[in-house]
Amino acid sequence: MSKGKIVSIHSFRGGTGKSNTTANLAAQVALAGKRVGVVDTDIQSPGIHVLFGLDENKMGKTLNDFLHGKCTIGEVAFNIGEKAADADGRAKLSGMNLWLFPSSIRGREISQILREGYDVNLLNQGFQGMLKELDLDYLFIDTHPGLNEETLLSIAISDILVIILRPDDQDFQGTAVTVDIARSLDVPNLLLMVNKALPKYNAADIKQTVEENFKASVAGVLPLSFDMAENASQDIFSLRFPDHEWSKALRGVSQSILEIK
Amino acid sequence: MTEDISNQLKTSFLFRGLPAETLRAVAQKVGTHKLAEGDVLIRKGDEGDSLFMINEGWFKIVTQDAQGGELIINQTGPGETIGEMALLDEAPRSATVIALSNAKVLELKKDAFQEILDQRPDIALTLIRSFSSRLRFSTTYIEKAIDWSQKIAAGDYSFTENTQAIMKSGGSDDDKAAQLLSAFFKMVKSVKAREDELKQKVEKLSLQIDEARRKREFEEITNTDFYASLKEQARQLRAQRKANEEE
Repeated sequence: MSKGKIVSIHSFRGGTGKSNTTANLAAQVALAGKRVGVVDTDIQSPGIHVLFGLDENKMGKTLNDFLHGKCTIGEVAFNIGEKAADADGRAKLSGMNLWLFPSSIRGREISQILREGYDVNLLNQGFQGMLKELDLDYLFIDTHPGLNEETLLSIAISDILVIILRPDDQDFQGTAVTVDIARSLDVPNLLLMVNKALPKYNAADIKQTVEENFKASVAGVLPLSFDMAENASQDIFSLRFPDHEWSKALRGVSQSILEIK
Repeated sequence: MTEDISNQLKTSFLFRGLPAETLRAVAQKVGTHKLAEGDVLIRKGDEGDSLFMINEGWFKIVTQDAQGGELIINQTGPGETIGEMALLDEAPRSATVIALSNAKVLELKKDAFQEILDQRPDIALTLIRSFSSRLRFSTTYIEKAIDWSQKIAAGDYSFTENTQAIMKSGGSDDDKAAQLLSAFFKMVKSVKAREDELKQKVEKLSLQIDEARRKREFEEITNTDFYASLKEQARQLRAQRKANEEE
């Protein structure tokens, strides 16, 4: 069995910037010389492939094919380091060891898996296979918001769980439940990340409030940014704009992940 | 000497409108004084019977606070006029003026001033114009301050966004009202900053968790067979991994 770490990125509600954060964290960790996989388990509404420049034409086998027993997990791996150097930010990933395991974006295949369901245990075997076959140091799982079965599985098998929340009441409430679940499942490392913090708030204050409420460490407070909203969906923002405040705070989070033994 | 003094009188807001010949007439009535550091030029409460113009050196204008301690209201220096109101009204001195350094001042006594007015009634009109324009200038600022006060009371600070540009830190005597407004403006800015900070604290505290709901939602998720088996699987997975690491 591999010694690679599973890092699940979760948020209780949608719109927290979860896929973006996952892609950027994975890219930063790959840039630090690690062997990294990214898997999109948001089967209902996949999105992370766009950030890595993958479209329907380029996409080969998907996680859906694996879950339907049509291929091995190794066949799903898409090598970003070799193929995705087509945007300013992503170009920096050339030669890095980074693989994406995409979910299908074909409507028919999405509705099929939602209708028929799949074996959650098979998904777990998939994760273990990814770690082993590519000898990964880190496997980042972009989860579906909420706490459905595949998300609970991702949390259960995580070595590191990163929960993303915005500083508002609804995210606070949902995060509280997720934190309780993570503790109940004995997740060894729990990190919180605050995203889309309004610039008028003091980042240190937010960090303190969130840490006091959840008794968990906040790895970063990332600002709400129009630059981010404008550029985020086409490229890996922290690679394209490394000096941006958002990027600096994100590197703080990736550093926290790298420091966990 | 008279020429020097009349040149100096010309820089004062009171006399600047007078013709040269009149200024010379005034200058002849003016006396000069030398003061050392710590000397008292005017004492609060004394009868006000002359105007002073500072030629050299600096003065502090002081009054007493509630505890009887010295409270410095302002500092003033070369070219500034002190006690001009005394030439017209009968009120006692409103503050004490003390030299901060060696200093030279010109003094125009009220009696001498009255004499000039008797001889040259046209001077009175010029003086009234000077006072009036200064009053109008002050009134404009006071109106502004009233307008701002009303806005602040209504919680509207928008004027602070586009007002900075017209504010300047004036030094001359004429600009006292402007200085007041400038100080007022700075005060509003710091009040607004404090208010914003407090607002943030209030918003920060409003982030609350409904503990009953938290417990209910946790139980809904964990009271299932799926969850129980997942928890067990996860436990086994971690144990296995730990065993592998120790190999």
